[in-house]
Amino acid sequence: MLLPRMSTKDNPGRIELLQGTLDLLILRTLLLGPAHGHAICKTIERSSDEVLQVEQGSLYPALHRLIKRGWIIFDEGTSENNRRAKYYRLTAKGRKQLQLETSRWDKLARAIAQILRPT
Amino acid sequence: MNKRKSLKDLDQDIRDHLERETEDNIDRGMSPEDARTAALRKFGNVSRVKEDAWRVWNPVWIEQLLQDLRYCARTLRRSPAFTVVVTITLAVAIGMNTAAFSIVNAVLLKPLTYSNPDRWVWVANYNRQFKNELVSGPDFFDWRAQAQSFEGLAGYDYQDSTIAAGDVATQERIGQISNEFWQLSGAQTTAGRLLRGDDEDALLLTAAFFERRFGGDPRVIGSTVTLEGRPVTIIGVLAPGFRFLLPTPQASNDPREIEAYTPLDIHPETEVRGGPTAVIHVVGKLKPGEAVEQARAEIETIQARIAKANPEWSYGDFQLRVESLQEKLVGSSRPALLVLSAAAALVLLIACANVVSLLLARASARRREVAIRAAAGAGKGRVFRQFFAEGMLLAAMGGAAGLLFAYGAMTTILRLSPHAVPRLGEAAVDGRVLAFTAAISIGVAMCFGFSPAISLWKTNLHSTLKDGARTFSASSTSLRFRGLLVAGELALAVILLVSAGLLVKSFRLMNAHPPGFAPERVLVMRVELSGPAYAGRPAQETYMTEVLRRIESVPGVETAGLSNQFMQGVARVEGKPAASRGQPPQMVTFSMASAEYGKAIGMQLIKGRWTTDSEASPVLVINRSFARRIFQTEDPLGKRIRVPGALGAEEPYAAVVGIVDDLKYSKLDAEPQPEVLVPYKQAPFLRAANVTVRVAGDPLAPAPALRKLISEIDKSQPVYDVKTLEEALADSIAPRRFTLYLIGTLATAALLLAMIGVYGVIAYSVAQRTHEIGVRMALGATRPEVIGMVVRQGLGVAVAGIGIGVGAAFALTRMMESLLYQVKATDPQTFAAVAIALALTALIASWGPALKAAVVDPVIALRCD
Repeated sequence: MLLPRMSTKDNPGRIELLQGTLDLLILRTLLLGPAHGHAICKTIERSSDEVLQVEQGSLYPALHRLIKRGWIIFDEGTSENNRRAKYYRLTAKGRKQLQLETSRWDKLARAIAQILRPT
Repeated sequence: MNKRKSLKDLDQDIRDHLERETEDNIDRGMSPEDARTAALRKFGNVSRVKEDAWRVWNPVWIEQLLQDLRYCARTLRRSPAFTVVVTITLAVAIGMNTAAFSIVNAVLLKPLTYSNPDRWVWVANYNRQFKNELVSGPDFFDWRAQAQSFEGLAGYDYQDSTIAAGDVATQERIGQISNEFWQLSGAQTTAGRLLRGDDEDALLLTAAFFERRFGGDPRVIGSTVTLEGRPVTIIGVLAPGFRFLLPTPQASNDPREIEAYTPLDIHPETEVRGGPTAVIHVVGKLKPGEAVEQARAEIETIQARIAKANPEWSYGDFQLRVESLQEKLVGSSRPALLVLSAAAALVLLIACANVVSLLLARASARRREVAIRAAAGAGKGRVFRQFFAEGMLLAAMGGAAGLLFAYGAMTTILRLSPHAVPRLGEAAVDGRVLAFTAAISIGVAMCFGFSPAISLWKTNLHSTLKDGARTFSASSTSLRFRGLLVAGELALAVILLVSAGLLVKSFRLMNAHPPGFAPERVLVMRVELSGPAYAGRPAQETYMTEVLRRIESVPGVETAGLSNQFMQGVARVEGKPAASRGQPPQMVTFSMASAEYGKAIGMQLIKGRWTTDSEASPVLVINRSFARRIFQTEDPLGKRIRVPGALGAEEPYAAVVGIVDDLKYSKLDAEPQPEVLVPYKQAPFLRAANVTVRVAGDPLAPAPALRKLISEIDKSQPVYDVKTLEEALADSIAPRRFTLYLIGTLATAALLLAMIGVYGVIAYSVAQRTHEIGVRMALGATRPEVIGMVVRQGLGVAVAGIGIGVGAAFALTRMMESLLYQVKATDPQTFAAVAIALALTALIASWGPALKAAVVDPVIALRCD
């Protein structure tokens, strides 16, 4: 149960995701349209200029968590090179949740920034 | 839904993901191997991902529970002896409780099988003098016409009657019930219809009788058979499972099932006070919302009016009884069933104590394992949950095996004595019984989970790990606790054994026969003449004389006689008032008997002579109870007693020529009643007779020949109830025998468990003290001293337990007073015998470990740590 997490310490310059932010990032990514698991990882990494390093495996429990909460659903489909894939997409409930989380994140980020760099 | 869909292809999803990542890496110029490795590294621990995803859908505790259970299953498999012993112990204990509960459930808890069971009542006039409950026909009709509280009242009666269909005549028990009953009861038929309205000469069959006698052939419906010489039409077949419920005394005295029903053949016009009236039993169904008390008050009012209008009838001797039918049917079985349930519960407690004791021993042996688990990061809670899981697993196995055991036990009980308790036949393992078993299994699991947890609560894990070796101090606490458990077990066993002992003693007293009785060598059977051909007494006498003549010719028959109790009545002695002042008149039984009957059944002549089959003048023989109660110190010989309904009213008195000793030949648990034996040729009634045959050798051997010989006299007159007198007597106390067997079984189980318990604790303590015993022996203790020390320890526990048990039993056995016969609930002999027997058991149980302790080699013992 207390198995060690795979460390990212050997990748200096990359930042491990904060607990809970992965959910937010997934929702944000899916706002652009349905995507399969691998694509979601790639999108997150690419749009953060490779700074944010997703431990790719942890994406899956997160996806399941979001499905359970009813924020996303998936359809079976085929990908670019004719491979089967699950395409995840936002539900209305997930869209609302994303707005909520985003504004909460903005508040948090502002607050922390204020403390770190008082003007 | 989402759960299954999401988890279904998780493996595939992960594989696909890794492949895509690998391809990306190759595109970026890595070698295939490196690409794969990098993909894997980036993905993280695959099995952990799967686990996390699974955990999203499944709460953690279920997972841990499954883990714990798997772990337990492994550890239990590794100690098969422990597992088997515990499972068997629990199976027996839980099984016995389940069986006891399914009996209680069927008899006491389940509502009657009639519709609106709570509205049914029993209505009767209790006769203070005869001590029985009866209703006369005219009273019944008056109640029915006047009472407003009832939806309906139904009278019933039953008797054994001859049914002839084709050329086969058999004797069957036939119930006669008012036709209203069938509508009120909600009974169903599988063929034909119920009795109704003004049906007469109609017969309604039970499903069992329909199968047995008519082979389930529906064509018999509408056909005519002969019932006691009278043609009746079969109109329907009842649904299987329907039975008319008779109150306990009726049902258990004579446990034959009613096979078919006819209308109750009495009518208001002919039932007139002063004329010959019918005597019946009455059940009623209250209107919705009516209370039993209201109904009682109403019938009491009606009855008071009747008594006032008929001052010449002695209604003062009667007391009206109206009570819930359910209570009337099963109320008298309640004490026995409660004692039975309590006994079963005690066995369960003893079994649990034994298992807990074993678990404690195991727990102290597993301290290191626990310490290691704790050191590896398992929280205390997790460790205890582990013990709970073990308790659950053991209890579940025990419960499942217990259900099987209960099923077998119920099958056996129902086969051996289906009529010992009313409604016993309805006993089955149903939902409620399953729930009960589940509940006690859970209780047991809790108790198993807690005990090792408690013993380990204070364990200092560090010191356990550090010491490594066994620590004497900690385990001696648990040993003391186990000693207490065993003492408690013995106390419970004392209670059970004393109860069983009291029942056994009652049984022995019931079966104490005078010398020469030998019921095992006596065959009995019954004939009852039916039909118009035997309406007159001469035909009856011819038939009976022919029966006697034929029996005597059968080889193997020593003596044979006829007898029949034909009347209960007041004893009237010539020249004496019927009753002495202030005393109620004495009721006595009048029986007819042939010359050899006394010898055949084994009665002893005390004084005077037997009657013969050719007496010149009216004579009779009385029994000792009669002589004592009616004549007190007077010499009865030569006195003349009035025989009711005697032939020739000009000479109603017959002279006493002999006195026989009392003999319990029909009901073992009833006191012998005053009885008069009239020579059969002088008896006023000869319609029925019990044929009693004393046989040299196996009594059942000549039975078929006898039966054939008698039925050949007249094929339309069946011979039935053929059995040995021994069987008949045993049947007469079937409910008591039932209780005795069950309590006896429970007590035996308790004794065995207690013995195992004592042995277990002493053996374990010897094993723990090997080192100490080695030291003692090295310092000069002799073997007898070591044996003495161990045995003393065992006996100490035993004496404490037995002492407590005797005290508790003394207080508790009073509750079973109604089940005893001529034995006091505090019978000192039984108490002493049980105490000694248990002390001996404890002695034997600790002797083995003591001998083992005595052969300890000090050198090895001292080195073994």
